Amino acid sequence: MVVRTKGVRVRNRAIFIRKFPKTKKGNMAAPNSSFPQEGVATSAQQNLDAITDDDFEYVDEEFVLSHPPQQPAQPEPMIPDLFKQPPLVKDDLITDTSRLQDQTVEHCLPFLTTEDGPLDVNDYGLPKLNREKHIKFLKQSLGPLPGRFVAVDASRPWYLYWCLSGLTMMGEDVSSYRESVIETARTMQNESGGFGGGHGQTSHLATTYAVILAIALVGGEEAYDVIDRKAMWKWLCSLKQPDGGFQVCVGGEEDIRGAYIAAVIITLLDLPLDLTPDSPAYDGRSNLLTGIAEYVRSCQTFEGGISSQPNNEAHGAYAFCALACLAILDNPRRIIPSYLDVPRLVSWLSYRQYAPEGGFSGRTNKLVDGCYSHWAGGCFPLIEACLSPSGSGSEKDKTSTGLAAAPESLYSREGLIRYILCCCQDQTKRGGLRDKPYKMSDPYHTNYVLSGLSSAQHQWDLDSDPLPLSNGDTTPTLAVLGADSVWNVFPYIDEKDQIYEDSDRVRPIHPAYAIPQKNVNGIRGYFQGHSGFAST
Amino acid sequence: MPPKSKAATKPKATETTTTTNPTTITSQTASQPSEPTTVLERSQQRYEKTRPFEAARRQQGLSKLSKEDQKGWICDQLLHLTNRLPAASRSRLLGPKASKEIWWTINGTNSIVRGLKHKPEPHITWGTDRNGHDVGSYTIERFDERFRKRIALTALQVSSRVFRENVEREKRGFVDARSGREIIVTEREIDEEKVRRSKMAALKKELYGEITGKLAGSVEWEDVVPIPHEEPEGALAAIAYPAEYAEAMSYLRAVMTTKEYSPRCLRLTEHIISMNPAHYTVWLYRAANIFALGLSIPDEIEWLNEVALANLKNYQIWHHRHLLVEHYYPTISSDPDALAQFAKQERDFLIAILSEDTKNYHVWSYRSWLVGKLGMWEDEEELKSIEQLIDEDVRNNSAWSHRFFIVFSNPKYATPGKGATEKDERVPQELVDREVKYAQNKVYLAPQNQSPWNYMRGVLVKGRQHLASVQGFVEEFVVKLGEGEEEEDVKSTHALDLLAEIYAEKWDSDKADLCLRRLAEKWDRIRGGYWEWRRKCLTQTEKEKAVAVGEAEKGGEEVAAA
Repeated sequence: MVVRTKGVRVRNRAIFIRKFPKTKKGNMAAPNSSFPQEGVATSAQQNLDAITDDDFEYVDEEFVLSHPPQQPAQPEPMIPDLFKQPPLVKDDLITDTSRLQDQTVEHCLPFLTTEDGPLDVNDYGLPKLNREKHIKFLKQSLGPLPGRFVAVDASRPWYLYWCLSGLTMMGEDVSSYRESVIETARTMQNESGGFGGGHGQTSHLATTYAVILAIALVGGEEAYDVIDRKAMWKWLCSLKQPDGGFQVCVGGEEDIRGAYIAAVIITLLDLPLDLTPDSPAYDGRSNLLTGIAEYVRSCQTFEGGISSQPNNEAHGAYAFCALACLAILDNPRRIIPSYLDVPRLVSWLSYRQYAPEGGFSGRTNKLVDGCYSHWAGGCFPLIEACLSPSGSGSEKDKTSTGLAAAPESLYSREGLIRYILCCCQDQTKRGGLRDKPYKMSDPYHTNYVLSGLSSAQHQWDLDSDPLPLSNGDTTPTLAVLGADSVWNVFPYIDEKDQIYEDSDRVRPIHPAYAIPQKNVNGIRGYFQGHSGFAST
Repeated sequence: MPPKSKAATKPKATETTTTTNPTTITSQTASQPSEPTTVLERSQQRYEKTRPFEAARRQQGLSKLSKEDQKGWICDQLLHLTNRLPAASRSRLLGPKASKEIWWTINGTNSIVRGLKHKPEPHITWGTDRNGHDVGSYTIERFDERFRKRIALTALQVSSRVFRENVEREKRGFVDARSGREIIVTEREIDEEKVRRSKMAALKKELYGEITGKLAGSVEWEDVVPIPHEEPEGALAAIAYPAEYAEAMSYLRAVMTTKEYSPRCLRLTEHIISMNPAHYTVWLYRAANIFALGLSIPDEIEWLNEVALANLKNYQIWHHRHLLVEHYYPTISSDPDALAQFAKQERDFLIAILSEDTKNYHVWSYRSWLVGKLGMWEDEEELKSIEQLIDEDVRNNSAWSHRFFIVFSNPKYATPGKGATEKDERVPQELVDREVKYAQNKVYLAPQNQSPWNYMRGVLVKGRQHLASVQGFVEEFVVKLGEGEEEEDVKSTHALDLLAEIYAEKWDSDKADLCLRRLAEKWDRIRGGYWEWRRKCLTQTEKEKAVAVGEAEKGGEEVAAA
């Protein structure tokens, strides 16, 4: 029994009583029967109703002593100082950057300490995840949308993915959207392969990624069949560049998003790897995967993070693309250390988390933003897999990198969860999640904040050791090995108390594909079952 | 079938005269209508005139009508029921014989067959005007006015169609049979048509609230059949496009399908970009137009500068600029002066836009690409402008990143293919020293600013220096570590982090561990998990060291034994 040092709240009593249900004879039940039996109230609310004065006879001594009943039960929520005060080390010099940073801390602190919040918070000072409002917000964002949304006319496929993904994580069944996803996706697909932002728009990798993930989320053969795989394959070949990367659209820029998205598409649709002779990368030897990992390597910067293209600034969103891309190509234990400087990367990633805010920033000296809960936070399951022990016994702590195995949490899950629940929720009737306090919620932030929450609430165990490569290859060129990695997911159980309510746990997603494992299996399984088309 | 018609017609003759039931109001007794004030009233009166029973039925109900009126009503219903059916099913449903009988019956009553077929209904009969008002509620005068306008519009439409026909004929080289001459559309005719179009647009708007798009109404877009936005009902995230945007997009789809590259397409892209600058398709198409038409790149860049300043967060603008420069570069690459001039222009603009938004990722990405493209490595101005940004805000990490790039990726000495976190043997020592010094000076300004720390560490690694070479400097920011809460002071957690690495490098695990522990316990608690991992890594290297030493000793013994 965990005993609080200060005050007691109704919820604790409920738990306490649940642990020691009163038997008919009035004896104490065995303490190890920690869950209510048949006929015993199951929900906290019912327990509350069931509490009578008599119930207190079961309260153990320590509990009673530290909580005299006459003391009014209005405790101070348990929030560590770390999240209540500006950082310990701070410079005097004021610049634009520090001004913005100070302002952000000032904006966040009242939310973190729930100082003037009219909100209901738990013992740990956390409000609940306002599912109902967020679900409503996402459903509304699926349209119809008013005219001012013209600005996102080229990003409509993203709306599909963000909303459906967010709803899925919050436990909604989105298969009812299957028909409309099919209809909508059809108007976005081009005969020359791929999906654009809407009717008559050029095919783009980003919009194609969003459409395919939306299709995977609603599932069903009818939905999978919308995708013209052969045209898709040809189009991908036309985007493949000689240096291993991908242009995002014909005539568009080449960047690391392209590499990640191509890896996602190739594996989810089980496309042939051969290049068409008119591909810019065609040389008779290379295939669609050749050189992707080398391209990813070229995007690591001196800071350790990853940039959009070689020689730019390290940025959180691209770090996720890089790691997820590698984890699809091969087992992360092998491929991440082969291509990236892991100690530098881990250092840079860890520095993305700020206190007291608790959230992540995208770059050095930039502000926290809810979306990096996913872009930066979502890197940790992949990094932790890369740093998971491969040996056993005395070699238990050793990883294939030669570095120590990662602890259960390389970053502060508590910090991130606090930032998300306190600062990122729009508590007005609008609902949805956001970048930071005083910003508007939107589907983009709603989805990625929830993804971040999901990764903070779960942990993954990479089941498989790297499979041997054939012919002394250093990279998988003939088969995609990472996509087959088995990721077992578990709810993350903190050694200390869990600061959020169990009901606020959202569903897990695949660490690289960013949709639930079941949906990844659904679409991959379907296309693997299709012998496909002749690629030549 | 016996001819029922006879039976049906017979009572007619008798009943027309014998209806004297006092409670029955006959059509004759209904009060005469007053002068109609609205169109609807007028047509209602006309409707009732042909249906004398109608007023009585409305007031009393069907059962109270005289027999004759009831029959009239029934016939009226029959008449319009059959009229409502499509002609084909009419005969199929009833057969020629039954139809004949119905007409027999109807003729037998005094129904007026040629009256208004449908009962005038508000909104339905006359429709609604642009404001949603029932046209039927118009006064007669107002309605006549509207009617005249409609006629005027029809006349204009006919003339306009003639004009369009002539344009088509001119294109096909059509020869007029009567005059024997080719059809030529004169400037005057075009001007007349323009006037006509604007009149038509005004009338359509006035009459129906229909807004004629700029393009649909323009002579210039005459020959293009727009491809309207196609989307099934219930499409997700469907946007209620403003009319102007929807129209422009439908023309864009049309010209993109035919791969047209022309000045009007260029203007169309500008029009769409002004409404939605994030539209990547339009930008790509714009670039294609410029290249296909061989238009001046400097002119386009000048135009783009303004668009960029108005849309700071836009992404597509920078890829467009990239494409323009790629295209332009070969034309100036052999002329060093032109190249220098262009580089200067570009930098001036970049400085201007970065002063508005100092960390804009897209601008910085473009800038680093430009340095490589134009070979601005040795350009002192480039380094100077970066230094100025760092002087303005020493925490501008984008500027620090760019500096690292221009200093260490210079192809004059950088080894191609080296990773950014890898050492490079060919980087000159004096450069490494200069950059370390530069970073250290900036650390003094704000020791907790991570940018120069990351920079310095990056420089040391690139320049194959031991981290320990800066130990003295780093220790300035850490006072009496581990000597008690009161004594210990840390001016920079980044110094403490680097110090841990320096100790680890010198195999002094205890001291390294102390640094990491103090970070985890006090100075940088948010990264507790990370510091813990770093400590585990230390033990790992300790073990490896022990193994290595052990093996070396064993090897030594073996040698001795031999």
